[in-house]
Amino acid sequence: MNTKTSDTVVLQTGKRSVLLASLLAFILAVVVLGAFILPAEFNRDPLGVGEALGIAGLSQPAAVSAETVRKEEGAFHQDSVSFQLLPFEFVEYKYELSKGSSMLYRWTVTKSRGGEASAVSFDFHGESHEVEDYEENYSLGEGDHEGGTFIAPFDGIHGWFWANHGAEAVTVKLSTTGFYTESLEFRDGFVKKQKLK
Amino acid sequence: MLIPVFAAAHNISGANARFVEGLDGPAVIPYMYLGAKHMVTGYDHLLYLLGVVFFLLRLKDVLLYVSLFTLGHSITLMGGVLLEWNVNAYLVDTVIGLSVAYKAFENINGFKQVFGFQLNARAAVLIFGLFHGLGLATKLQDLSLATDSLVINMLSFNVGVEIGQALALACIVVILGQWRQRSSFQKQAFAANTVLMSLGFILAGYQFSAYFWA
Repeated sequence: MNTKTSDTVVLQTGKRSVLLASLLAFILAVVVLGAFILPAEFNRDPLGVGEALGIAGLSQPAAVSAETVRKEEGAFHQDSVSFQLLPFEFVEYKYELSKGSSMLYRWTVTKSRGGEASAVSFDFHGESHEVEDYEENYSLGEGDHEGGTFIAPFDGIHGWFWANHGAEAVTVKLSTTGFYTESLEFRDGFVKKQKLK
Repeated sequence: MLIPVFAAAHNISGANARFVEGLDGPAVIPYMYLGAKHMVTGYDHLLYLLGVVFFLLRLKDVLLYVSLFTLGHSITLMGGVLLEWNVNAYLVDTVIGLSVAYKAFENINGFKQVFGFQLNARAAVLIFGLFHGLGLATKLQDLSLATDSLVINMLSFNVGVEIGQALALACIVVILGQWRQRSSFQKQAFAANTVLMSLGFILAGYQFSAYFWA
């Protein structure tokens, strides 16, 4: 039943059976593509089968939700505070955030007298509840503002240390919104805890 | 850089990609591993190889055809990366899908029966090898290779591809050898190549759809 052409052996077949098999292969491919792959992978449903089977759009929402939407169960809070820092004064302000919870933040520094921008040293970091003395730095340097999105990498308190190394009094103004539960202010050796409503 | 997770049939996965992109300088073993993994888990390449060796009875012929395939895909893998060819991965993968369907059609003696002529099988495996290599090049280019150790990393990837191919082929050849000894092989071989042709069409259709919609 085998015939040898050069090095390869191919099946001895008839024209009819080859055409039939090829047609079958092609139709099978079109059906699998139209009924399953196009609806599931590309959200195109030419036969309506994807809708009926519940696989239409299977890949799209999953890919989108993993990247851009992050659901939160905790209470939603907003907070706005300002601190006046005399030369060489410093303050630390943190939020209680559990792992995976997020917040949006923005802080600006102005001269207390003139209102124009002024730089401070800052250190945005977190302290873990689980591992004693574990700290992680997120962002540090000198500047008069910073803003962004923060997603807590572990359960703990997360926030900023600001120090005024300039010669004039400055005001640091912080606005945040997020899924934190309380705020902590560390200043002059005291801790001020505040449950956020 | 965006790595479409679902749309592309067979890309180097996100975590692996981030790992090698974080590397600086030559990384022989990681790239070899990626090349081997890409081949062993790459159903498009595996299906084509299955089609190619399906009716090759002698080990000598297996080696000859696989060497031609290796020559073909090494040329375009290295050429594509070094000359920075910007070919569309989806279109290349469409051709790779069609190469599977072509080989299955040839295996059931389709060209002779339907069109009355026979393509040169050796030339065909070399030419389709060129396309498979282009596909490999697009996957490697996705990784935004560091230019300082481009050549060594690319060669490592290529060596890995050959190792993976040898591993996969060893399994395919052994299983085919067992299968051929059964009396039902003749009948099943026809059905198997029909299924292979269909899988080739599905792969091609999938990648061609991804070209438009992914």
